[in-house]
Amino acid sequence: METADGNHQARGDADLLRAAADGDLAALRELHDRHAPWLTARLLRRCNDREVVVDVVQDTFLTMWQDARKWRGDGELAGWLWGIAFRRMVSRLRARKAVVLMPDWDAGATGMLPAAEDQVLLGVEYGDLGDALRRLSPAFRAVVQACVLDGLTTREASRLLGVRENTVKTRLHRAKAQLRCSLADARLEGWR
Amino acid sequence: MTADTTWHAGHTLLRAYVEGRLDAVLGASLERHLDGCPACRADIRPLVDPPLLDQSWSGLRTAVESPPPPWLVRLARRLGLPESTGVLLAATASLRTAWLSSAFVALGFAVAATLLRGDVLWPFLLVAPLIPVLGVAAAYGPSEDPFEALAVTAPYGRTRLILVRSLAVLVTSVPGACLLGLAVPGPAWVAVAWLGPALTMLPLVLALASWVGPRLAGAVMALVWCGVVLGSVRRLPATWPVEATQQLTYLALATAAVAVLLVRSRRTRRIGAVL
Repeated sequence: METADGNHQARGDADLLRAAADGDLAALRELHDRHAPWLTARLLRRCNDREVVVDVVQDTFLTMWQDARKWRGDGELAGWLWGIAFRRMVSRLRARKAVVLMPDWDAGATGMLPAAEDQVLLGVEYGDLGDALRRLSPAFRAVVQACVLDGLTTREASRLLGVRENTVKTRLHRAKAQLRCSLADARLEGWR
Repeated sequence: MTADTTWHAGHTLLRAYVEGRLDAVLGASLERHLDGCPACRADIRPLVDPPLLDQSWSGLRTAVESPPPPWLVRLARRLGLPESTGVLLAATASLRTAWLSSAFVALGFAVAATLLRGDVLWPFLLVAPLIPVLGVAAAYGPSEDPFEALAVTAPYGRTRLILVRSLAVLVTSVPGACLLGLAVPGPAWVAVAWLGPALTMLPLVLALASWVGPRLAGAVMALVWCGVVLGSVRRLPATWPVEATQQLTYLALATAAVAVLLVRSRRTRRIGAVL
């Protein structure tokens, strides 16, 4: 296995996944090495229970291995993995309440001023949108986070947030309207 | 996404992200970047707690290398049941392939006998209701269950276990029996009408079993049902055992049996004394 590792490092995710599905443990290991760290970090931002996170990561890779043939191979494997992982995590809510947290919208914002590189990141990705997002009320942000950023359906989001599906829909709708408004304001202020 | 961007997250930013010190907007921006950037994903690796990764890898490895669970456990998992329930179901005697296939062979013969004669219904009416009833009677009890001793000591309600198993027996046996019933000559409603006596005998068997144990209760119930069906063959119409008046009697009996079960489980506090 040690000798095979060298070959594996250069191979693409799709290739490795095919090999893993055929029973190549080293390929599975390489996939785990590539994707488990960021998946763990990302889940830990949403869940305060490390045991649950480890379980979910493990489950996610097991599902990936079992359903390897279902992956159509378009897009990034990372996106597919995240879809599996976060849904797993949300379904945990049925068994254990109050395990899943949403990322904190306020912590760190004051404690850590965006360094130059973060400004670049914001510029690249969201720009004005970041400020507009920060202006939303906590309930609306949670819905935007769940439905837009984390890619849940309204049904899954309603389970995660503990509100009715219709409430999720209304909040998402209003949040979008507010975002649109504050973006328009930001543009106009710039031109004044 | 933005795979061709030349920008990459620095060490400080990634560390702040992993340690949870980024606010949600920055965090979400970084996550969008990570979605499309293998280089930054690789940079996260040294920052994540190694024990967490080792734990998930060793668990994954064990799962991948262990043999697949029995089909029933897999089916139960697919249906969203917890694995413990799946294992308990898989250990049920009357859910084993041998039991199920022999039950359906018996029912097949009954249907064949009914079809060959053309004018009688009793072989079908005799066998069909007894399949779920005997299945439930055999679903628990000391002799049939290889890990009865484990099941009794497990922290899992015995009544719940029996109800779950009974339900599983019904789910596996009733649809097939209904389909076979459609092949039987006579009115089509007979294909479902036998469910009346079958569902009556279930609580009756459970109530009886609380006194004399499941084996004897199953045998008694089978004899009684044989008496009812065969007794009606001579002088009464073929569908007599499942007609409306009789169904009402069955309903009354079932209600009484459920009441007896409830009273007995209230009175007896000893675990496993009733069911």
